[in-house]
Amino acid sequence: MAILRSRGPQATSHEALIRTLYAEHGKALLAYATRLTGDRAAAEDVVQETLIRAWRHPEVIANPQGSLRGWLLTVARNIVTDRYRAKAARPNEVAETETVTPVHRDHSQEVVDSVVMMDALSKLKPEHREVLVEIYYRGRTASEAAGRLGIPEGTVKSRAHHALKALRKLYTPSNPGSALKLRKVGAA
Amino acid sequence: MSTQQQHPNGELLGAYVLGVLGTDERSTLEEHTAECEECRMELTALQEMEAALGEVPPEAFLEGPPEDGDLLLQRTLRQVRAEQTSAWRRRSLAVGLGAAASAAILFLGGYAAGGNDPGSVTAAPPSATPSASPSTSPSTSSSPPQEGLRVASATDSDTKASITVELTPASQWVRVNASVAGVPSGERCRLVVVSKDGHQETAASWVVSPGPSPTASPQPGEGGLNGSAAVAPDEVESVIVVNDQGKQYVGVDM
Repeated sequence: MAILRSRGPQATSHEALIRTLYAEHGKALLAYATRLTGDRAAAEDVVQETLIRAWRHPEVIANPQGSLRGWLLTVARNIVTDRYRAKAARPNEVAETETVTPVHRDHSQEVVDSVVMMDALSKLKPEHREVLVEIYYRGRTASEAAGRLGIPEGTVKSRAHHALKALRKLYTPSNPGSALKLRKVGAA
Repeated sequence: MSTQQQHPNGELLGAYVLGVLGTDERSTLEEHTAECEECRMELTALQEMEAALGEVPPEAFLEGPPEDGDLLLQRTLRQVRAEQTSAWRRRSLAVGLGAAASAAILFLGGYAAGGNDPGSVTAAPPSATPSASPSTSPSTSSSPPQEGLRVASATDSDTKASITVELTPASQWVRVNASVAGVPSGERCRLVVVSKDGHQETAASWVVSPGPSPTASPQPGEGGLNGSAAVAPDEVESVIVVNDQGKQYVGVDM
């Protein structure tokens, strides 16, 4: 009979994975979860759960279909949705413990347009993407964006136009191809 | 360009949709689109695109770790350790119960092939019946090939130990899937990824269980060792198997 006396699986590489995800995506995830929950402590729980789910799906990280950032944000949003819905439905529920999450769904198999859009954005030329990020996502004016990017205002405007046009070619909502691949990720 | 002449503000439609035109530019453009069917259609299409941008939250473009998030990181790491430990205990137990049959390789890696949740990983059935096949030639994994996957194998002429490694690149790390044969039972071994600068990162560790056939060769991806190492894919020099005294049984250049 085999007798196992080992310290168990190597912890270090798994921790390195978590640390890397945290270092690259932690700020985006926490800011997003904080906005959705309106509560920093709740948001931290959401981020923790998101990172753990990513760790349980190494195939997503190793070979993300589209954007890993988009996948992580979607998982975070779904955790928020589930928890808050569950709480609203059961107002007298006793405090959740760490081991009991109200709804055991993983969502990693879901295809969402946000992931498809993140993917499309990531395929834009950098000069196109940065203009959209400044103007649309950071809410800057053309002249503010021009100052930040070090290009003339007219260039900001024409790039904004070409960026949107390029995006139209790259973005197909719920692209059946990526849907298939994402579904393979598997259920919880 | 003729389109420029026909649609003097054509290149500003995107900026218009995004709301960054000045008052004058905006009214000129609106005057034109009121007259121009083609520009109106283009405008509608761009407006749909602008709306679709809203699928992505603005936070998606923040980079780096959160400020004051160290406790969060530590908590997450603790949870990973706890889940690994309990998953490993369950595996050990199952292996212990089912280990009357013997196998050269125990499944101790972090990631179970095909498993979705380390908490529910079933112990690799001690690799079924040891195949006792003398052949250690690499066989292809049953899973579809992934981009950038590297496969290599080698047999050490002194120890006669052999290894087949599949390396799956990730952004700053690699997933390692290996089968090792020919290491005497009872040896406590580590699968180590060696980087080009000589740094060593352990990807998995195990104890070789006693078995009649030290040459049993589980297929990579089906049974065998699974782990990961925080070495960038380009930096991987080789993968080696060492025991706890540091003796190298076999190594393979990637």
